[in-house]
Amino acid sequence: MSDGELRRDNDIDYFLARMPGVRIERRAKADYYDYYEAAADAPLPDGGQASLGLAADYEFTRAQTDRPIKFSFTGPFSLSRRIGGAAYAESTGTGPADLVRALARLLNAEARALHAAGAAFLQIDEPFLAGYPEQAKLAVEAVNIVTSGVPATWALHVCYGNRYARPSWEGHYDFLFPAAINANIDQITLEFARKGTEDLRLLAVHEWDRSLGFGVIDVKSARVETPDLVAARIRRALEYVPPERLMINPDCGLRHLAPDVARRKLHAMVAGAAVVRAELG
Amino acid sequence: MRPVRRLRETPGARDAFGPLVDAVAASGADLARLRVVCDWIQYRHNFRETAVTRPVLPAADGGPEEARELAVDLRRWARADPAAVAADVAAALAGGDDGDGRVWLEDWVHGSASRVWRFNSLYWQHLADWEKATGKEYERALPGGESDGRNAEAARDLIWDLFKVWDELEARRALPPELYVLELGVGNGGQARAFLDTFTELDRRHGRDYYRRLHYLMGDYSAHVLDRAREEVAHHGSRVSGLVLEATRLPDSLAFLAGKAFCVYISNVYDNLPADEVAVIRGRAYLAQVRSYLPAADAAAIAARFGIGAAEVAPLAERLLRIGPELLSESAPDKFGDTGAAVRFWQDAWSALRQAERYVPLEGLDGYRLAPGVTGEVLRPLLGATGDVRMHVSNGALASFAGTLPLLHPFGRLVCHDLFTTDLEQYRTGFYGPGKYDGSTVNWVNGPLLALLASRRGFDVAFTPFKQRPGSHVKTLTAQVRDLCCCPRRSSGRIRSPNGSSASKPSTTSAGSAPPT
Repeated sequence: MSDGELRRDNDIDYFLARMPGVRIERRAKADYYDYYEAAADAPLPDGGQASLGLAADYEFTRAQTDRPIKFSFTGPFSLSRRIGGAAYAESTGTGPADLVRALARLLNAEARALHAAGAAFLQIDEPFLAGYPEQAKLAVEAVNIVTSGVPATWALHVCYGNRYARPSWEGHYDFLFPAAINANIDQITLEFARKGTEDLRLLAVHEWDRSLGFGVIDVKSARVETPDLVAARIRRALEYVPPERLMINPDCGLRHLAPDVARRKLHAMVAGAAVVRAELG
Repeated sequence: MRPVRRLRETPGARDAFGPLVDAVAASGADLARLRVVCDWIQYRHNFRETAVTRPVLPAADGGPEEARELAVDLRRWARADPAAVAADVAAALAGGDDGDGRVWLEDWVHGSASRVWRFNSLYWQHLADWEKATGKEYERALPGGESDGRNAEAARDLIWDLFKVWDELEARRALPPELYVLELGVGNGGQARAFLDTFTELDRRHGRDYYRRLHYLMGDYSAHVLDRAREEVAHHGSRVSGLVLEATRLPDSLAFLAGKAFCVYISNVYDNLPADEVAVIRGRAYLAQVRSYLPAADAAAIAARFGIGAAEVAPLAERLLRIGPELLSESAPDKFGDTGAAVRFWQDAWSALRQAERYVPLEGLDGYRLAPGVTGEVLRPLLGATGDVRMHVSNGALASFAGTLPLLHPFGRLVCHDLFTTDLEQYRTGFYGPGKYDGSTVNWVNGPLLALLASRRGFDVAFTPFKQRPGSHVKTLTAQVRDLCCCPRRSSGRIRSPNGSSASKPSTTSAGSAPPT
């Protein structure tokens, strides 16, 4: 379960607006999905106490349900792509890669607080990574900083962007491998409904031995999938991943869809999964 | 006073003011509730009398006017004698309704729903008949005598940019097998030919064989125009496809292209699509409603020419709009002996056509539907920013633009040459249509409105002068996805890899937020 994250204006600003050491000069914007211009004028504080309030967000969700909860937050690489300023410019000797690592340390503090609050399943979202495929190794290094010392079930979500309800990039997931093999995660969560299932082969080629979060719902289209279509997609995934390592989910967040469409899509997802589950006995 | 520059340059225009004020003062009109708007209507063929009045209504369903606007065309007054000015003003203030014998062609409607646009559609659908009657191709009716899209140099720049993007995507296995380029409004195929011939040449030099993967889609409303364009690019065979489509309803025709077009090229289409107009008068928003008519004298002349009763003119014009000139002549051979006669009737009616106007309050922007999925809310920043103003809503262009953006690949680009206003201030200092070009309607397009819509949908828009025709009014609109950073044209630098091995110099201001260049 998730609470839908409606408190977040978008996948970046909610975090940067609370991030210690990040300056946002102008906080007015025309559209919730416009991004702030954020800057770091000095190196970010190093780890320490959680300050983004994510544990409180989790506790809100926890209060609404006794079902298992997956709690997501944007990863350090994607956040770094929206932070300018002089502190991590190339000329300083630190560089943008150090910004990614600094953000990872801050998020690690959040992860520890989340786990302390009871969060058992945490997901790092990296919606910008597909735009910088050559940076996959750095992103994985940062993921490992975030997850360090937090004994939760960890997922890493990499999609092709969902800003303004359209993909920000196109391509294939080749760039994730072999870097993702070194990520200290339990699940990799990818979009397949919109892109097609061609990249499932990568899991076999690279002998991915952990779970797959398999996107079966296209969140950029208002056309509602049928349970049969969802079931067909799942069967395709089962050719590459055994059922005990397959988690069914939408491609990404549903925020750009009308509520009725989003609900019907989720119904189709659940119904399609039930069809395959029944077939598997 | 909109024609500021003309007023300075044209003594005759200034000379008209004395007679104008005298005539207004002598009219008995309530001067406390009368606005006078002066335009310089540059289109010799247009929809306006020299002086007209526009009631400002208190409610959308009519009712007594609460104010009145007297709108005059200073261009036509610049050489007029004072008596003519006084007569025009007196006539405008006295009437403008059924009393002067005009023949109405429609009821009050928003501008985009006017018969004017059905005449425009008729022109493009039956262009061959019109051209046969006039003896000249439509391009010769355009300013300069040709369309703007036939320049190899422009094509060359565009193609090199595409190659850069494609090379980078290919390097990361992200280049799709089929490379789509879409052109809307193909004219006679000159642009398509310039693009494809240049593409072939550059692709040979580049050595990547992109031509084999290229699909050039030509879309046009006119089957006649499309056929001509097809002939022009016939030597490119299956690389080219032609589609008859309506520019305002692209999702119906081009759903298969969503997210796939690397370039959408549009030349002189938007200015030819239906548009409303909105006005802010004393701080309140109004929609301009129009009602097309034929002046009494013109209607009588048309009736006499074709041997029909005056009362038949409007119904025959309506039937013409519904079935076209060929079927009109077949269905009424006693009035129109052949298609040519029906076209002459069409041309006469079109030439005489005028529009009355009035303002009705725009109650609730959210209830005003500009285009599919676009409400009047998008106007709010524009209406609130400029004080009293009247501007185009450009509904057709908005619908087409909004329908085109989703077709773009994340690294795709929309390039559009057209008559754009680029600053709302222009609407306060000049007249930007509508006017008549041959048998079609032309209107400038509200550029700031398009830019605002694009912004809401995650695209950045830039307007630049049209390089290929310096000094023309045509501007180039370029739209592309906001904030992308990994495409060559939009690179803002790369992050250094952990081992320090990679990379171009990063931006010192924002690693990922530099605006597209």
